[in-house]
Amino acid sequence: MSDPRDQRPEDGPQDEAESIAAEYVLGSLPLTDRIAAENLAKTNPGFAARIAAWEQHLAPLNDGYAEVPAPKLLAQIEARLFGVPATNRGPGLFTRLRGFLAGGAVAAGLAVAVFLALPSPEPAAPPLTAILAADAQALTFAAAYDPAIAALTLTRTGGPAAEPGRTYELWVIEGTAAPVSLGVFDGANVTRPLATLSSGAVLAVSLEPTGGSTTGAPTGPVLVTGVFTLL
Amino acid sequence: MTDDPLAILLSRVASHDRAAFRGLYAAASAKLFGTLLRILGNRAEAEDALQEVFTRVWLRAGRFDAERGRAMTWLIAIARNHAIDRIRARPEQAASDDETEFLADTRPGVEAGLIARGEALRVIHCLNTLEPDRAEAVRGAYLGGLSYQALAERHDVPLNTMRTWLRRSLLKLKDCLEA
Repeated sequence: MSDPRDQRPEDGPQDEAESIAAEYVLGSLPLTDRIAAENLAKTNPGFAARIAAWEQHLAPLNDGYAEVPAPKLLAQIEARLFGVPATNRGPGLFTRLRGFLAGGAVAAGLAVAVFLALPSPEPAAPPLTAILAADAQALTFAAAYDPAIAALTLTRTGGPAAEPGRTYELWVIEGTAAPVSLGVFDGANVTRPLATLSSGAVLAVSLEPTGGSTTGAPTGPVLVTGVFTLL
Repeated sequence: MTDDPLAILLSRVASHDRAAFRGLYAAASAKLFGTLLRILGNRAEAEDALQEVFTRVWLRAGRFDAERGRAMTWLIAIARNHAIDRIRARPEQAASDDETEFLADTRPGVEAGLIARGEALRVIHCLNTLEPDRAEAVRGAYLGGLSYQALAERHDVPLNTMRTWLRRSLLKLKDCLEA
């Protein structure tokens, strides 16, 4: 700042937006700022264009990434995308969640599920959103379902990643149907294909051993739940 | 029409062509796995991340625009964004010595790789107009996904100074690229 080498003629708001777009692409921003930048890009085409421009500016640096033969993960990826033959999923989670959802303590948990207020809903905005939270639980997630691309996106908005040896697993429950696992996830955000989703569907996150539940029922606690509502 | 074979595959993936998706995995997975491995520094996590990246590629292929850039650039952006989200979500920036060593082992000759490509000459030229330590910080952030904290420690400067360095360096880089 005081270094004369750093001086540039002007340093206005345009430079600020430009800097944040550049820092986002560079990757150096903290997680909360990254998520804020991603959300801004979704609603602000000008900012999205700045990010796209920086991706092109810095693309030649990609030559610095070596090619490393990847393991044969295609079958797992296809199973995730296109589904696998039905497995013997027990009713465990459903039973637990039904009790959980019907119980008095749960009303409080569900009351926390609120509309995700986006500043300026664009036509492309996901029409179904949910906030996942629970009393006395630091962990919170924001979920959005976009029917245009048949995908559900979950972003961790509060609380820590699962501790080593454990992982979070995502479940969706439509009406009285049995719960369906959408898989385990470790990062701050995750996208999963999902053909359909109705308003009122329940999303839940449970804590599982690394690799996820092998029985179709949770082996750890259901941490947070939320109900999808129309934006 | 296009000299970008991956772009052709991506456009077929956008229309839900599973054979093209397999072709894309065969053609691009090594580069994307190398990218994830470099940033995450952990093979198991990179494998998990690669599954997530190809899941996103299938879902978002329709958004790729061949007029705006090469397919590999678009694919690497998805991989980098996912990998960086993951490391930023780690509780503490647990960059152990092991990881640093691992990264150093897999680090290719960045300059050599860049010089090999004519289209990269301009970026090299512009990076060279920066102070050497700042150019190095830009590369470390971009390629290794290093946080401000990690970069500040590596260059032995306060975190805010590092952030100022990078922001100013990026704007100078842009001025140079657009000059």
